[in-house]
Amino acid sequence: MPEGHILEVREVTKRFGGVTAVNHCSLAVQPGKIYGLIGPNGSGKTTLFNCITGLDRRDEGEIRFKDERIDGLKPHQVACRGIGRTFQIIRVFPELTALENLLVVSRKGGLAGNCQRAMELLEFVKLDRLQNEYAGNLSYGQQKLLEFIRVLMTDPELILLDEPAAGVNPTLLNDLLGAIRKLRVQGKTVLIVEHDMKVVMGLCEMVFVLDYGEKIAEGPPEVIQANERVMEAYFGR
Amino acid sequence: MMQVQITGTMVLQIVVSGLLAGGLYALVALGLSLIFGVMRVINLAHGALLMLGAYTTYWLFALFGLNPFLSLLVSVPMLFVVGAVLQKLFVHRVVEAPELSSLLLTFGISIFIANVAMLAWSSDYRSVEFLTGSFILGQIAVSKPRLISFVAALGLTGLAFLLLHRTKIGKAIRATSQHRDVAQICGINVRRIDVITFGLGAGLAGAGGSLVSTMFAVYPEMGLIYVFKSFLVIALGGAGNYPGAFFGGLLLGLVEGLASLFLTAQLSEVIAYIFLVIVLLVRPAGLLGGRT
Repeated sequence: MPEGHILEVREVTKRFGGVTAVNHCSLAVQPGKIYGLIGPNGSGKTTLFNCITGLDRRDEGEIRFKDERIDGLKPHQVACRGIGRTFQIIRVFPELTALENLLVVSRKGGLAGNCQRAMELLEFVKLDRLQNEYAGNLSYGQQKLLEFIRVLMTDPELILLDEPAAGVNPTLLNDLLGAIRKLRVQGKTVLIVEHDMKVVMGLCEMVFVLDYGEKIAEGPPEVIQANERVMEAYFGR
Repeated sequence: MMQVQITGTMVLQIVVSGLLAGGLYALVALGLSLIFGVMRVINLAHGALLMLGAYTTYWLFALFGLNPFLSLLVSVPMLFVVGAVLQKLFVHRVVEAPELSSLLLTFGISIFIANVAMLAWSSDYRSVEFLTGSFILGQIAVSKPRLISFVAALGLTGLAFLLLHRTKIGKAIRATSQHRDVAQICGINVRRIDVITFGLGAGLAGAGGSLVSTMFAVYPEMGLIYVFKSFLVIALGGAGNYPGAFFGGLLLGLVEGLASLFLTAQLSEVIAYIFLVIVLLVRPAGLLGGRT
């Protein structure tokens, strides 16, 4: 096995009834880099995220995180190992306050430590004044930021972001991209599902391309952009 | 037919009595609502659990002369354990199954518990003769056990809300009821939350049973009517809406009371259901709607 992979997906397959959502897919992710996961709608990106985080149970294959198998673990166990994620459609807890959304995350360290961390994160995205507002009352952009910092509560080593740029205005997008780059500086590994090619090209060092659940290409963004199979998958022949 | 003049005092008396009854409905319904909110399981055994609470109080009073209100300290933890065990053994199997499975399962559990109670304690009506009489407040009379039960129900409901809002477990329960999968991604062991929630729900039912036993007869099928009333309360307040369960309970007590004043006592139950149909037609998500 090659050394130094934080996440390894080996020959993972996931079927829903007769539909194969992920098909013998393999990815290897090195620590400290930002990866992109792209592909047309329905190509299995979110299902792959669900398999990694334990929300869907893979049918075949292996998933390893820091050299340990995580494919049989429950989602909360995967989370506690150090993998955080956001969702394509924002899922903050609407009837919890902004602060409670962070405090509810399972994290080592006492209540005081957790509160301090939560406040730091709220300040980081300038939501500290809204700490006692119910998350459901926040604007779309504020909810997006809240979901993003919720991932950071546990200080995870691997962060999976499902379409962070979707529906975000340019100012907020810049803030988010800045925050993601900052994570990389801190040595985090980030895997991003994204449709916006500009975002992918500007942010990711390495890109995986899925089509019909199979990985059809991987490489640096410039190479991927010129890849014929990728163009075909996106635009047809 | 004799014409009775309805006076302001009578209305006030009914409003007070209705609210007192409603506080108890709210307590019992909150337990049902918690379980439904977190697991989407409709717990038809809720009434059976309430009955177990009532018998706990009855026997502690009959055998040891324990103050029925103090027996809450026994019935609530005991029913918590019963609920947690039921969840661990049976209910967890139907948590993510279609709703019919959980209805059948909890219906079966309810029949089982009621029959065991009949075997063990017979179907005789029993009562806890502890407090009788009324407090006279100005022109209205308030039955002592009802007033104390109301205060206790309010206190317990308040404690439950404190738990939900002020503690880490409580926040995790609310988070799980809002987005079960996201809660897991946040590192919350939802199976554990299910066990605690079912225990809490059962504990609230048991508390309700203890309080009911100070006012009404104790017998194996006494819980049935409270299951129906809890459904009404939850439909009024909105499914899985915890403050809604509280206000829904008070409202139901009030509506029943007023109906018995202006119509007849027999009709008051019917009126409550008619009221429910109207609410469901006008505001299908419940009066408060949404979920908390």
